[in-house]
Order: sequence, then structure tokens, then C-alpha cells
Amino acid sequence: MKLKQSTSRFSPQTLFGKIFVVMVVSTISVALVTSLLMVQVSQKLFMNTFSITNTKIIQQIKNSFEDFNYDIVTVSGEVAQSLTVKTFLTEGDKDSLSNNFSVYRMTDQMEHILSSLDINEVGVAIIGVNGRSYFNNRAYWTGTTGELKGSTLYEETIQHPEKLSYHYFKGDEETSDQPLIIASKALRNPSTKEIYGILFMMIREKDFRQFYGNFTSTGNDVVILNHNGQIVSSNLAGRIGQTSKELLQSAENIRTQNLDYMTVSTSGASEIVLADYLQTYDYYIVNLIDKKMALEKLFPAKQIILTGAAIVTVSLMVIFIIVRRVTRSLRILVRQMSSVTKRNLHNYITIGGSYETRELGTAFNYMLDELNDYISQLVETQREQRNAELAALQRQINPHFLYNTLASVNILVQRGNKEKATETIRALISLLQNTISNVSETITVEQELINLKHYVFINQVRYGPGIQVDYFVSPDCMKAQLPKLILQPFIENSFFHGFMDRTTGYIYVMIAREGGTLVCEVVDNGTGMDLEAAGSRLSNPANKRQMFTGIGVRNVHERILLLYGEHYGVTIESKPGEGTKVRLRIPWLISSEDEA
Amino acid sequence: MKKAFVALLASILLLSACGSKSENSASGGNSGSTSKEITVWAWDPNFNIAAMKLAVDAYAKTNADQKVSVVEYAQDDIIQKLNTGLNSGTTNGLPNIVLIEDYRAQSFLKAYPDAFYDLSNSIKASDFADYKIASSSLDGKQYGVPFDSGVAGLYVRTDYLKDAGYTVDDLTNIDWDKYIEIAKDVKAKTGHDMLTQDPNDLGLVRMMIQSAGSWYTKEDGTTPDLKDNAALKDAFTTYKALMESNTVKITSDWSQFLAGFNSGDVATVPTGNWITPSVKAEASQSGKWAIVPMPKLKNTSSSVNATNIGGSSWYVLNVPGKEQAAEFLAKTLGSDVNLYQDMLTKVGVIGTLKAAGEGEAYKQADEYFGGQKTVEDFSPWTQQIPQVNFGMNTYAIEDILVPEMQNYLNGQDLDKVLADAQSQAESQLQ
Repeated sequence: MKLKQSTSRFSPQTLFGKIFVVMVVSTISVALVTSLLMVQVSQKLFMNTFSITNTKIIQQIKNSFEDFNYDIVTVSGEVAQSLTVKTFLTEGDKDSLSNNFSVYRMTDQMEHILSSLDINEVGVAIIGVNGRSYFNNRAYWTGTTGELKGSTLYEETIQHPEKLSYHYFKGDEETSDQPLIIASKALRNPSTKEIYGILFMMIREKDFRQFYGNFTSTGNDVVILNHNGQIVSSNLAGRIGQTSKELLQSAENIRTQNLDYMTVSTSGASEIVLADYLQTYDYYIVNLIDKKMALEKLFPAKQIILTGAAIVTVSLMVIFIIVRRVTRSLRILVRQMSSVTKRNLHNYITIGGSYETRELGTAFNYMLDELNDYISQLVETQREQRNAELAALQRQINPHFLYNTLASVNILVQRGNKEKATETIRALISLLQNTISNVSETITVEQELINLKHYVFINQVRYGPGIQVDYFVSPDCMKAQLPKLILQPFIENSFFHGFMDRTTGYIYVMIAREGGTLVCEVVDNGTGMDLEAAGSRLSNPANKRQMFTGIGVRNVHERILLLYGEHYGVTIESKPGEGTKVRLRIPWLISSEDEA
Repeated sequence: MKKAFVALLASILLLSACGSKSENSASGGNSGSTSKEITVWAWDPNFNIAAMKLAVDAYAKTNADQKVSVVEYAQDDIIQKLNTGLNSGTTNGLPNIVLIEDYRAQSFLKAYPDAFYDLSNSIKASDFADYKIASSSLDGKQYGVPFDSGVAGLYVRTDYLKDAGYTVDDLTNIDWDKYIEIAKDVKAKTGHDMLTQDPNDLGLVRMMIQSAGSWYTKEDGTTPDLKDNAALKDAFTTYKALMESNTVKITSDWSQFLAGFNSGDVATVPTGNWITPSVKAEASQSGKWAIVPMPKLKNTSSSVNATNIGGSSWYVLNVPGKEQAAEFLAKTLGSDVNLYQDMLTKVGVIGTLKAAGEGEAYKQADEYFGGQKTVEDFSPWTQQIPQVNFGMNTYAIEDILVPEMQNYLNGQDLDKVLADAQSQAESQLQ
């Protein structure tokens, strides 16, 4: 039972269920939508600031690259303009002393030129067409001069003598397995454009990295791409030397479309790509940011979800309690109301709970009050109406009765039977007196018996003494109270129905007390009747002429019910040919005077 | 729940402790008393590092639990790191043992008096070649374990000499004037230059003056001794004569120097014994080489046919773990004769431990040099090397002398050139 109640509380049909479901759904969705929006907004903000700072960082990287390039350009310019270098590279082999001077001047000159380089980690090699060469540090190119001359690098530089170009040289034996970035420039005679030597300026990839190394961190990587998409330098050591067309494509897109950044998915991971172009190197600086890693630092997803879930749970619990309390009084009200309709209208509601439920309860109680008032008024009115009807009937002395009685008296007088005539008149007067007085008054059994005897006497005067009436009244009942003329209709009924076709018979009237009840019986040995058929005859007496008042047998029953309630009333037993037995039950009442 | 949390906390602490520990050992140089590892710095993987690794292996046979790690750095890097570390006063990141070139040793010992550990009680200075002691000791205390010999010799191409009508004996124990004379003849007859020279490296001059017991500085190691240095004057004159003889192939760097003899361009190589492996690298010239004593200065009576170039020694830094490091050096490079045999046969290192010279390997004949017992030949020369104090400023003074030499070659008066160099050195090295 209890279980059923609690489940029914949660069912979506109840107010509680509805409110709770709505609150749960809306709380969760508000929490979700808010956090999603927040995450998105801050992601966007983060991305923007990130791209701004990283753009600045790239700018700084670019600047240091440009500074380095400026050094390289300065050095290559000075080398190209140096007559000593030109002489060293163009003159033929002479005697030891001259060669000595030439080599000394060359190294001296180069040392002087290179001293202007800010960066120490540059290996300079110059190869002349005359076979002479100069190296400031053999650690960069550990291979032979011939190997350097035979490299594609040498060829490419000769092909494009006008520009200083940067090349990526994969680590090999010639470079002690170190990848190099080599700037090369052809040294040309200004007037004849004849190439007399090639200048190589080598920087190890790991030293090249120092231009951006400080800005990198896990998930924030820098990659330097050449125009083929080959990675010439990167803090991701494993990717150096690889070719990435994808990155090149992104970098070119960023450059041509002037984008701040791009998001690229490579091998399952989403990466933010920022890029800038190094004009002088023909390289792209590409900044790769692992989006997941970067955002994970900003948004610890697990923590956000846990916190969100905790907040939602707590608020749902609070909502549950509040909704329960709000709807509780309403639920009680509903239960009380439903019990009212089942039983009676006197089940008033206890007022309590919120304002609304209190008002509702008050209104409901007021309605019950009104309803009860109305019903009692109605009952009272009906009772009064019935009483009035009965009183009217009682008072309605049948004129035929008077006529017949007076006609009988007249005959008695003509016959000279004076005493009997007088007695008859007196009986009639007494009878009339009782009838005229207040119909609701009760009288003692004794008085009622007198009235009955008067009535019987008058009837016997009219129809002869063939029908004998006997009274068996318990002496203690003589003072008991009963309504006026309550037995008379049954005597009358016996006279006119029980003995319609006969002139002899008897009627017994018996009055006794049974506990708190006064029982009166009127028994005759007349023709009797079929009760089912007699129903109509009783209620609608065919011969009204014979009746004393308008009160019929049926009215008596109604009157008793009206006066004393449904525990009391009239029962009739009758069979055709066996007579009729009427039993009448009324409460035992004794007037206070008589008691005293 | 609480227990689990405590366990978690404990494991985090433990992990971080492990992390910091591994970091410590990764930094390597800082070998505190907690870390027993000995760190060694050296620069040539084919020479001194290879030799040190042999020493480590030898030591491991008796002291298996002593870990020694050998780290390679360029020589310039080692000097820079040492200077930086010792200047800052923090020994953090410095090794236990470091290899220092003899020319530079004094400058370190004098500049950082307390930075090196006195090995006088670990090794006996008298066990080593005498000429090595001056550079590796200070104020009577032995700081370095002398390592490779810098004894020099004249490597000659017997085939070229033969073509020019000379024998090996014609070049044995000669003076530089005779050498120049032969050089001209060889050039005229074969077309080959006699030797290579780098104008920026006065190694030849250094060898010449050391053969006369002279140096750039006086015996105190600090006072420049350029002006009126008879040996130096003789060396300069000889050098100029050599250049003017037009028998010198000019090179500008080390690889051109190597290419000079490997390609067969030159007939002789006057340099230290450590060039032997490089000479032998050109297998096609096997049997065509011989080694004779270095020529001496003709006009300097003190000059002998023996000199030195290069060479280095091991030093123990005064950092935690110095006792273990000293013991390691004493038991290996300080005394182990067998180790020296290994180093000679496997790496080509001629050590300066006198006892090592008695070993088998030092008496082996070398077919590459026509069956000459080269190492055995070097030994007496080693004994003859005049002992000089390299002092603190060998390279600084040479930087001054290089341009002055050019001036001299260009026709300036020798006395003026040396006087200029003297005044520059005095003003710069104050």
C-alpha cells in the first residue's frame, strides 16, 4: 500500500511527478547548455589569445631568423667584395712564400669578416675554381673538399649564382651525421659575371633550433619547412628530414588566404597550425599546437564533468525536497477531499500548508458548510410540509360521516330512543373535539381508548351491534402517550373493508409495552385481503364516504415515520378469508405530568 | 578511502624522489659523495677517449663496482666549460677527471690553484718522462698524470728520397740547413714539395726552439722571452729559409695537412709521434715511410735532434669523488704497464710511463715503416727532449707571433719583428 503510494507519487500523472521531471530535465539541460556554451566561448577566446601570442612568438622567431640571415648576408657580401678572397680563389699556384702570404691573408681576412658574426656556430667553407679552399672549422664538413664540390649543393648554387640560398643537408659521414642548414652563394666577378668561387655557410640543425627552441614545449612544436615541404629543422627531432605536403599545403593556405591559424587533423590528432613565411630563406615557420593537449591544460574535462555532475546532483536533491514540501499539503488535501466524497459531507478538511492550499481548504470547508445547511433546511421544510399535509387531512372531517351519523341520530330521535340519541350526539361531540384540537399533540392511551369507543359506538349505532370490538390494554400502558387518532383508521378499515359483506365479527385492540416500544395491535376476523392487491385500495380508499377523516391507513405509517423515525411504523398481515392483523410500533413515551 | 589516498600520496612522493634522483645522475658531472660514478672528459674518440676506455675496462677487472663514464667534448668546449665552471666557483657539472693539453696545463694550474687535486701521493713523478713533469706539476706538487708522448720525429718518404738520390741515413741527425738543401734537391729531382706548413700554426717553430731548450717564455713561465731569444731567432731564420726554398706546400687547415702526405704530395712530415695512425691510414704507402730524428738548429749549440709537440695529461678536479678518481688513475694510467701495451697496439698511443717502454709492444717492428722499430726508436729521443716550462701563455704568444712571422717573411728586420712581438706580449699579458 505504502509502496504503491510512493510509486504513484513519482508517476508522471501526479503534480509532484510532473514538477520533478520538468525540474530534472531543465536543470540538467541548463547545466549542459551552460557548460557547453562556456567551454565553447572560452575555447574560442583561448584560441584567439593563443593565436595572438603565438603569432607574436612566430614574429619573434622570424625576427631572429632574419637577424641571422642579415649576418649571413653581411658576411657573404663582405666575402664577395673582398679582393683578398678573390685573389686567393683565382690566382694560380706560386712559390711557397707567395702561397704562404696568400693563405695567411685569406685566413686573416676571413677571421676579420667572421668576427662580425654574432653567432659562433657557423662553419664557413669557400671553394675556389682554382682548387683552393678555405674552412674556418672542419668540424662542420668532415668530408673532403672534393665531396663538397661534388655535391648537388655546389651544382645548385652555380645554377642560381645571383642569390643567397638556403639548403637542407641531411646528416651523413661528411657532416659527422649532423643535419646541416647550408647557406650558399656564388662568388662572381662583378663585371664579367664569372664565378670564381662558392661560399658555404653551414649551421648545424641543432644550432638552427636555438632561434625558436625556447618557445617550444610539449604539444607546442615548431617545424621549419622548405619550399618542397621538407622539414629542415624542428624541435621534433624525429621529423627532421621528412617531407610533409600536408603541412606545406596548410602553411601556403595560411599565407595566401591571410588566415590567423588553421586546424588540421593529422593522423587522428587535431592540430592548430600557425605559419609564417620566411622570404629570405624560402622557408615556412610552422607552429603546431596539439589542440587536445593545449585544451586539456585549460579544460580538465574530467574535473568539469565531475563538478557539473556534483552541482546537478545537489541541486536535484534540493529541488526534490522543495517540490515534495510544496506539493505535500496539496497531496493531503486531495486525499482528504476524496474521502469526503466517499463517506459524507461532514468530513471537514484540516487547514494547513501553503497559502493556495489553505485558501482551497477553507473554500472547500465553506462549501461543505453551505451544502449541509441547505440539506438540513430542505429536510426541515419537507417535514413541515408533510406535517401540514397530515394535519390538514386529520382535520378534514368527512361530511358524509357527519351526514350519516346525524341521519342515524335523527332516526333515533324519531323512534323516540332519546337516551341513545343523546349518547350518540355526545360521542360525536367528543370525537369532533379531539379532531379539531392540535393534531400534533399526543394523548394518553386512555384518552385514545375513549375516542375509539366513541367512534365504535357511533358505528354500532349506524350499522348495528353485529361487530364486537374488545380492548385488551395492559394497565401500565394507560398513561403512555401516542399521537391522536392513530388507531382509529385501522378500526375504520376493519369496519368498512373487513366486514363489508358481513354484519357480524369481532375486532380486538391490544396495547402492550415491549421494552422501549409501545405496541398496538388491531386484529379482525373479517374477510382479509390480498396484500399485494390491497396496496392500491389502502392508499386510495374507494369509498370516502365511510371515512371519518382524510387520514388513511397509509398516512398513519408515514406519520409515524415522520414523527419517530424509521425504527417505528406499521406492519399489516392479512390473507383473504382469514382476517387482518395490523401491528403498530411507536416509542414508549410518558408525559412528564403523568409520570409525576 | 583514506588509506587509498595515503598510498597514492606515498607513491607520488616516491616517484618524484626517483625522478629527482635520476636527474642527478643524468647531470653526470656533479658526482657528489652519494654518486660513486667517475666522469671523464676528453676530446678525441680515436685517440685519448679510446685509450681512456681501455683504462676503464682494465680497472673494471679489479673494481667492478666503480662506474666510470667517459664523455666526449671538443677541446675548445672543455676549456670553455672548465673556465666557466672554475671561475664561477661552483663545481657543479664539472667532471672528476679531465684531459688538458700540456701547453695549457700551467695556465689552469696557476689560475685555479685549489681546483685540482694533488696527486703527489698517488703517483711517482719520476716514473714518467722528465719533460712531461714541468707542465703537469706546480710548486713541487704533481697534479697531472702524464699521458701521451709528444716526442717528435721526421717522417720521410724513402721512395722519393731514393729518386732524388738520398738514403734514410742522409736525413738522420741532420740540421735544418741540410734539410733545406735536401729539400731543394728533392723538389728539383722529383717535383714534390718537402713538407706542408699552415701559416697560422707555428708548430714547427715551437719544435725548433724546444729542441734548443728554449720557449716563448722564460723559465718562470710568465715572462715573454722573444726579443733577443737566440733560439727563436734561429728558428725564424730557418723558417724563412724554408719558405724561400720554395719546397713548402701551404695548407690552411688540418685536413689539408693530412691530405698533404696521404695524397703523396710531400716527401717529409716533421711532427709528433701521434701522427703515426694518420700516416698509416693510407695503406697504399706501406713500406715507403721511415721515421728519423728531428733536424736540429744549426746555429744554436744547445739544439739537439729531439723535440716535442703536443701531448696532454690527465688531471683530477678537486670535487667530491676525487679520491676514487685519483685511485682510478693511479692504478691504471699511473702504473699499469700492460695497459700501455694495449694502448699502443690498439690505439697507437705512445705513453710516457718509463716502465711501459720495457714492454713487448714498444719493441715491435712496424712493417708499414719498412720493419723499423719505430716506438723503440722514439724512446731515446724522448729521453733527450730538453725540458722547458710551457708556462701559461703559449697560445696567446703564438697569436702575436703569427702575424709577426708574416711581417718577417715580408722582409722586415728580424730583430724589429721580435722586439715588436715582445712589447705586444708584455702589454697584453700583464
